[in-house]
Amino acid sequence: MLLAAEFNADVLTPLVSGAIQGSLYGLLGLGLVLLYKGNRIFNFAQGEFGTVAALLTYAFVVGSGGLPELPYLVAVLIGLVGGTLMALLTERVVARPLFHQPKVTTVVATAGVALLAISIELLFIGANPLTARPAIEGNLISSGSLQVTYQQVLIVLALAVLALASALFFKKTQTGLAILAVSQEPTATSLVGISVNRVSALTWGMAGFLGAAAGILLAPTTLFAPGFMTGAALIPAFTAAVFGGITSLPGAFLGGVVIGIVEQFGNKWVPTTFIPGGNRILVFLTLLIILVVKPSGLLGKEA
Amino acid sequence: MSVLEVRDLSIRFGGLQALEGFNLDVNEWEIVGLIGPNGAGKTTAFNCITGFYKPDTGTVRYRGADVTRVPPHRKAAMGFGRTFQNVGMVKSATAIENLKTAQHAKIEYDTASGLIGAGPTWREEKQLEGRADAILDLLGLNAIRDSKVGGLSYGTLKLLELGCALATDPDILLLDEPSSGMGPEESEELGDRLLALRQEFGLTMLLIEHHVPLVLRVCDHVYVLNFGRLLAEGKPSVIQTHPEVVAAYLGGEAPEALEATQETEEDAALDAMTHAAVEHHAEVAPPARKRAAPRKAPAKKAAPRKKAAAASQEPAEPAEDAE
Amino acid sequence: MTATAETAVAAPPAGHAKGGPSLAGWLVRGVLLLPLVYFFLSVIPGSADLTERGTEWVVFALVGISLNIIIGYTGQLSLGHQGFVGVGAFAAAYSLTVHQVPFALSIILAIVVGGLFAMLIGFAALRITGLYLSLITLVFGITLEQSLFQQPDLTNGGAGQPAYKPDALIEPSRYYFFCLAILVVIVFIDWRLTSTKAGRALFALRENERVAAAFGINVTAYKLLAFVMSGAIAGLAGALFAFKSEQVTGEDYDFFLALTFVLMVVVGGLNSRFGVLVGAFLFSRIGLDYAIERFHWIHELLVEGFLFVPGFGEERIQFAPRLIGAFLLLLTLLQFPGGIAQQLRPFTRWFAGGPFSFKHDVDGGPGTVEGSSVRA
Repeated sequence: MLLAAEFNADVLTPLVSGAIQGSLYGLLGLGLVLLYKGNRIFNFAQGEFGTVAALLTYAFVVGSGGLPELPYLVAVLIGLVGGTLMALLTERVVARPLFHQPKVTTVVATAGVALLAISIELLFIGANPLTARPAIEGNLISSGSLQVTYQQVLIVLALAVLALASALFFKKTQTGLAILAVSQEPTATSLVGISVNRVSALTWGMAGFLGAAAGILLAPTTLFAPGFMTGAALIPAFTAAVFGGITSLPGAFLGGVVIGIVEQFGNKWVPTTFIPGGNRILVFLTLLIILVVKPSGLLGKEA
Repeated sequence: MSVLEVRDLSIRFGGLQALEGFNLDVNEWEIVGLIGPNGAGKTTAFNCITGFYKPDTGTVRYRGADVTRVPPHRKAAMGFGRTFQNVGMVKSATAIENLKTAQHAKIEYDTASGLIGAGPTWREEKQLEGRADAILDLLGLNAIRDSKVGGLSYGTLKLLELGCALATDPDILLLDEPSSGMGPEESEELGDRLLALRQEFGLTMLLIEHHVPLVLRVCDHVYVLNFGRLLAEGKPSVIQTHPEVVAAYLGGEAPEALEATQETEEDAALDAMTHAAVEHHAEVAPPARKRAAPRKAPAKKAAPRKKAAAASQEPAEPAEDAE
Repeated sequence: MTATAETAVAAPPAGHAKGGPSLAGWLVRGVLLLPLVYFFLSVIPGSADLTERGTEWVVFALVGISLNIIIGYTGQLSLGHQGFVGVGAFAAAYSLTVHQVPFALSIILAIVVGGLFAMLIGFAALRITGLYLSLITLVFGITLEQSLFQQPDLTNGGAGQPAYKPDALIEPSRYYFFCLAILVVIVFIDWRLTSTKAGRALFALRENERVAAAFGINVTAYKLLAFVMSGAIAGLAGALFAFKSEQVTGEDYDFFLALTFVLMVVVGGLNSRFGVLVGAFLFSRIGLDYAIERFHWIHELLVEGFLFVPGFGEERIQFAPRLIGAFLLLLTLLQFPGGIAQQLRPFTRWFAGGPFSFKHDVDGGPGTVEGSSVRA
């Protein structure tokens, strides 16, 4: 019995909670991979698509600031729409004008969009944390140090479904192929008749939807306040996406899980008395190694 | 005196053998041509020679010393001046800034002194600017001195690039398609220019070229590459009629194109003089040209190269033995 | 990219063919600059509040110059620069407080440590460039904040490492002038950098490493030099910041600080010393923050008076500078790539002794930042 408990605490718990935490990252990472596949950029605003969506959902569930109280699913729908719209707006106002400039300019601009969103959120809502209600209450497993809520299971399932759906979309549908074509040869594809603008809007819209879903699912499981997605999840999501293969959607899934597990074990292995934040250091080293050894990531192909 | 000696150079990229068993010699004051169809491996050979690629086998010797593994920036300091196929310059900087940057290897003050603004730095910076201006003068590019390079026309760019190669104070110039984008008149001017540069600065040159008349007029020796291997080598007139060379290019068209060359008597005389000098290592005074400066072979190696300053003025002393 | 000095201090004419302005011309320029000089040398030290904010401006300006070397001159995006500043701050505070190292030495230590940490990133930059390098710097900075900067010995058990100025500098205005003097020296060094071979080497390799090598430039060495210099100056800034706030805590050096620094340099104007000074002014607590604090009642008046809707209130309005900053960043990237410096160029050019004209040169802006991906 004692042995089982130890195994539980030393191996099983970090593994499982790492995998679950990693799914969070993977979910956000899907949107990042999508935009890299489509536009060859890192989107630093991806997290805020989620925060905005989560805040909208919260506002309509709770009925804050004079807004009507709506059923959960309706509020979720509004949140998803809101996140997607925000992404479309970003595409139109920021990404499209900067299309022909070096990619780094767009990347910095997305950081600006994130900062803008966070500032607006702070101005209207303040910095105090809120409590979002989960889609499904309750725990699946709750034994000893291992605890898994239904919400977390939902996140893992959502990630799996969305990752699969996106991968199929790119491989099998005409539109998916069009997006890839535009990312690789914008001039040629526009000559062939594919509207680069429409493809761009579509890509961003999809990324916005994915980000919104991530935010709405995550809000109940963590500290929910303005900017929470960018603060808590965006950087690990980037690391996960790059690690798994920035051009690979399944890679985002795999990368997320691996990074999540590495984090958990980092906490255990690097003695915190000497230097705290061992999980951070381990993650950083993992990123550095993969970029030096195989920059295209675990599952990615040479860009 | 061998300036450049390439032996058994081979390099492979994945499945493609880009160069195999390539041999090449360039002697002092020669202008050697490297020709061949597109994709033959000419630029690859350049990249190996100048240190941008590491060859799989073979050696590159510079004046007898093995320089195969020497990185490009050190080769530049040694005296390898180079131009690129797609015009290699700092496009966001002005012409004069490019020319100053190109003199990097010859700067005597070290970085730290530069940062603290030590006395000698200011003086040397002025000298750099002076030399840069002299090169602009020499090539007739004064008008674009302060223009951003990115906006200039292709022909001007190529000329400026030549200027930057000169600014590195080279011993041997490796020019990659210097006449690309030029019409027949401009090519002829380029030919004049190359010959004059060789004359004034005692330069040795290796050219990659597609413009056959230029090659025939200017080169002392020609190497022909095809599919990474040496196809033929020899005097231009010999190469001109070499059946395999002709075949390697566009079939029957080749002979007519090759005959379009028009060597002037002056050029022929100059070539003869050059060969005589190379073979006998004698001091030779060439026939008087517009900017006659007697070529004093030993002096070039001894004195520090203030060539740009000398070139921009008519020589104070009258040209010896000039008629 | 022209290398003329663009500091607020008028420099001798940069060799214009016409010979520059006459004595009268210089007098006019000098007189017009007097209010500015008065502001920085008299008004700021005159008020305790302003002195503190002014010192922060100086520190931010130092960071800006350091960051400009990486983003502007070398063309790489550093999103973790707060890490180098923090490293310097901790080095100075720790060595002085815990190991009784003399003040001057603690600052030198900060410079060395800052340079060393930056050199690590510099080595990474040899293999990884562009977007991927920016990700590395981002994660590096956050990793530092959440690991090294939480180390109990360094942070005095989490309470924050104290850092007390030596007696001679305790008076705030004295410390302000001390920092200002250091800023002048660093600006001079940066000017020399861009006017000599090292700067030209960086500009060349920023754009085309092959050409740089053909010109005789040791690309590896100069890249590393850029990072080391940048880190050293950032470390120096960190040390000065530590002594200003008298306490160093890890949480101060978070990602938002990194973003503020980038904002500062980009909005101020990339590749421009003057731009860095302006950007630092705007985004340190003497700029937007101060303006909002002093004048937010105007917005309340307007909003409540005209829109009949409650203003954001004193607590929330402190977030307004971030909003303005983000907005300015987007505006700069989308419309005015050279930042504020480029917009003010007609004036700075005239003050430096040139002609007054509204014709804009196209300065190197963020557009000159290299966007290539990992080199295999």
